[in-house]
Amino acid sequence: MPIRSMKGALKALVLVAIFFAGVWSQSSGVIDDFIWYLPDVQYLVVQHIWLTVMSGSLAILVAIPLGIVLSRPSMARVAESLMQVLNVGTTIPTLAVLALSMSFLGIGTVPAVFGLFVATLLPITRNTYAGLKGVNPALMEAAAGIGMSPMQRLFKVELPNALYVIFAGMRTALTINVGTVPLAFLIGAGGLGELIFTGIDLYDPVMMLSGAIPTALLAIVVDALIATTAFLVVPRGVNPGRA
Amino acid sequence: MKTLTTALTSIALASGISLANANEISVGGKNFTEQQILSTMTTQYLDNLGYDVDNRSGMGSAVLRQAQENGQIDLYWEYTGTSLINYNDITESLSPEDTYQRVKELDAEKGLTWLEPSDANNTYALAMREEAAKERGIETLSDLAEAVNNEEGLTFALNAEFYAREDGWRPLMEAYDFRVGRGEVSRMDSGLVYQALRDEEVDVGLVFATDGRIPAFDFYVLEDDQGFFPAYALAPVVRTETLEANPELAEQMNRLSALLNDETMAALNARVDVERETIEDVAESFLEENDLI
Repeated sequence: MPIRSMKGALKALVLVAIFFAGVWSQSSGVIDDFIWYLPDVQYLVVQHIWLTVMSGSLAILVAIPLGIVLSRPSMARVAESLMQVLNVGTTIPTLAVLALSMSFLGIGTVPAVFGLFVATLLPITRNTYAGLKGVNPALMEAAAGIGMSPMQRLFKVELPNALYVIFAGMRTALTINVGTVPLAFLIGAGGLGELIFTGIDLYDPVMMLSGAIPTALLAIVVDALIATTAFLVVPRGVNPGRA
Repeated sequence: MKTLTTALTSIALASGISLANANEISVGGKNFTEQQILSTMTTQYLDNLGYDVDNRSGMGSAVLRQAQENGQIDLYWEYTGTSLINYNDITESLSPEDTYQRVKELDAEKGLTWLEPSDANNTYALAMREEAAKERGIETLSDLAEAVNNEEGLTFALNAEFYAREDGWRPLMEAYDFRVGRGEVSRMDSGLVYQALRDEEVDVGLVFATDGRIPAFDFYVLEDDQGFFPAYALAPVVRTETLEANPELAEQMNRLSALLNDETMAALNARVDVERETIEDVAESFLEENDLI
């Protein structure tokens, strides 16, 4: 069979499948069930995004300078050990980090943002550090050879070359962050975790999915946003996405 | 809807199905202290009697019930009111005895046997810090409703389950005719409500009547003056099949059930939540004191 018609048949099949999935969900009332949770979802999505934006941007603001400092030659001896300290935020279960931060920050948004911040810190720092360390030594030598100061080398050679790796770290960290925010519900900070956990407790799959699906969509959107930013921000010459 | 629920149910439960042997009993439990004490106590007790016990606690009410109906959990401690309203959709108000009789009949049709109820009645309640309640002159849920409607800006902490239960938040607001905005309600893990209330993060918290932290933290429990909440008598519920396979089990569990009442439960809960003893130690010492192990 010629490939062209096979593709066509496949497309038609997918369309038919989508059509029947639509008919089934309409007739079974699942859509009405989902619509019933819509106001809840709208309210909680805003909280969810807010938690991600606050903890994520805090983590970026701290992690990138930290990664830069750790990658300087003078820090070479202590860099790895310091990074192990950050590892704590990743290795301790996030729920425990949240519970710990609640014990000295109270309930609600503040401890949640702090807990999420701690959990997001390492991947970004690690990638900033790795990206800067991975810059081709020949480039560094050439930069030194034409008389650039260490600051000039950092901003004109090292950072542009490391940006792609740094962005990769931010993508990982923030996507995980979105997926972790549901736990913030357990310490009273809201977010889509309210629907997910209540749905589990009451054995209500539609309620649970009303929380889980928007969470997954948010994670995809965040990932796409950072990918686009990376595409636009990383200089043309060193951007694998635009080469 | 039904089909989706069924499909998801079978997927979710297919992973953990284990076939019950004659002497193998899986004990379930919900996700708060009292239930963890009870499931641990039951596990130790039955283990000592020679059963092969598997303890699975920490589930939400509806999940646990579903697991029992599906045969993955043989035995756990349920509250009469929860079964009446949430599992059997009965909304009329009944006396404690009638509540027990009704769930016993209705659940028997589903293959579940209610053993003798204990004297412990762990009802839901709303509580405030004692001083704050006095200051505002709130003693009953009606007083609370009035205060809310006078826009005194009260804030609430509830757990996930209560917020959406049929004997929970929305029906309670309807029964007492008050409305609280979304922003004034924080939902969180059951155990953290007490901490939030004690630390003055919220004004009113959802508590369980037999929780030891109520006296320990100086909470004042608001009276349910219109009788909204049903009786929540604690009783062991066993799958009828399991009972048939283990004829002595009923009598053995009834002996444990007869020992429990509000004071005992509150004291046991307090030892875990306030004095920070481990659940295993509390359960074991209780059984030893009563010569059950």
